[in-house]
Amino acid sequence: MFCYNCGCRLSEHDFCTACGADVSLYKKVIHVSNMYYNEGLEKAGVRDLTGAVTSLRQSLKFNKNNTRARNLLGLVYFELGESVSALQEWVISKNIRPKKNIAGEYIDKVQSNAGRLESINQTIRKYNRALALCHQDSRDLAVIQLKKVLSMNPRFVRAHQLLALLYMERQDWERAERELRKCREIDRNNHQTLSYLKEVEQMLVPDEGMKQAVRRRKEESVRYQSDNEIIIQPLNVKEPRGGGISSFFNIIIGLVIGLAAMYFLGVRAAEANVRNEEQQVIIRISQESDVKTARIQELESQAADREKTLQELQTQLEDYIGVDGTLQNTEVLLHAIAAYMETGDTAAAAAELESMSQRVNPEGMTEGFRRLYEAARGVILPEVADTYLQEGNRLFNARNYADAAVAFEQAVAYDASNVESIYQLAQSYRIIGENEKAVQAYDKVLELFPDTWQADKAQSYKAQLSGN
Amino acid sequence: MINFEEELKKFHPSLEVEDAEESIYHQDLTDLADMLIKKIIGTEQEKTPRVEKE
Repeated sequence: MFCYNCGCRLSEHDFCTACGADVSLYKKVIHVSNMYYNEGLEKAGVRDLTGAVTSLRQSLKFNKNNTRARNLLGLVYFELGESVSALQEWVISKNIRPKKNIAGEYIDKVQSNAGRLESINQTIRKYNRALALCHQDSRDLAVIQLKKVLSMNPRFVRAHQLLALLYMERQDWERAERELRKCREIDRNNHQTLSYLKEVEQMLVPDEGMKQAVRRRKEESVRYQSDNEIIIQPLNVKEPRGGGISSFFNIIIGLVIGLAAMYFLGVRAAEANVRNEEQQVIIRISQESDVKTARIQELESQAADREKTLQELQTQLEDYIGVDGTLQNTEVLLHAIAAYMETGDTAAAAAELESMSQRVNPEGMTEGFRRLYEAARGVILPEVADTYLQEGNRLFNARNYADAAVAFEQAVAYDASNVESIYQLAQSYRIIGENEKAVQAYDKVLELFPDTWQADKAQSYKAQLSGN
Repeated sequence: MINFEEELKKFHPSLEVEDAEESIYHQDLTDLADMLIKKIIGTEQEKTPRVEKE
């Protein structure tokens, strides 16, 4: 014990030997606190936990720094299932005396196991929910919740009491009694438990005599509990005695029944197992088959795609090297140009180019082909046109106007930019009486070459023909 | 005869772990020893004669 004034250790005197402060009353207060602590310890020792709580709280009212009383109070709370209250007391105790305090170990034990802490919290939440359900008159749900709470924390006295109260409300006295007895095993002197138990026992009084007899029998018999059911094995029931022959027959009948049962249970079970295994094999094969079918379909799809790609490539190749393909046309063009250069036969070369122009669209060919084709036409066709023009002029001068018109037509066809060819064609048409064609040819001269002398002539001839 | 509704009022919701800290802070920890020490110190101060300044 230390002086409240200077903190010095106190002696047996009623004053502090260090500072002289009067500590007589202070000493009495501390003694009373310790006395209540001792009382609480004794009560806790005989499982009077409610009494222990009262004494220990009293002890702390006299001396809040009595860490032993506070730690014991926490332990008692923990035993009653009040885990949070226990933690509170231990935390306060640890703050008052940080070193050499067992409260630290208690806190560590609870907090080190996260699952346990969560379980404590869940228990409290479920209990609170059950209480709320009671207030909402959902008592069946509350019973279910409380059963869950007690499965998680079987020492939660308040939950046992509330469950007992709910059973009492349902007038299910047997179950209520069972819950209350569990409460009494944990806390022997809880007046709430005792008052409920008294009520329950009063309700069970009418068949007290029978109950006593049953209880005696229960005590004599072998009992064990499976879940919530108590199974009692009767001892006092005597089997009727029979003769030796009847026993023998009974044994035989028992054997027959046993064999039959073994057949029906064992053999059928084995058959069921075999069927089950077969079923499993079938399922496995079916699954493998499904996988393979899917794989086959995938491969077939890939093969179809590749076939399509191959056909496209073949088409492209055909376009390139076929009869009318790029390669073939290039070959024909090259031959025509080579023949022209070797022989100077413009007519044959021109015919080849014209034939090609009807078969091939130069825009769809390669750039090299297109350039070569255009260059060949630019060189060969004007020469051919010039040849036809000279031939036409010769025939025109020889007054063979019909053949001259044919020659001029060829000249215009190969070179439409030569004004002389068009004008001479118009003249030939006019002379042989093809006036309509002649007017069309004059119009072409007027349209394409308006500033030439042929245009002036064309204008006057057209006027003449229009006048006729 | 126990009245269910009356008995139900005796049951209160339990404190959850999250609320424990706040509850500790708001707990009144004053004990009899505190009050006694306060009283003794107060009495001694009253007994001490006041020295008036000149």
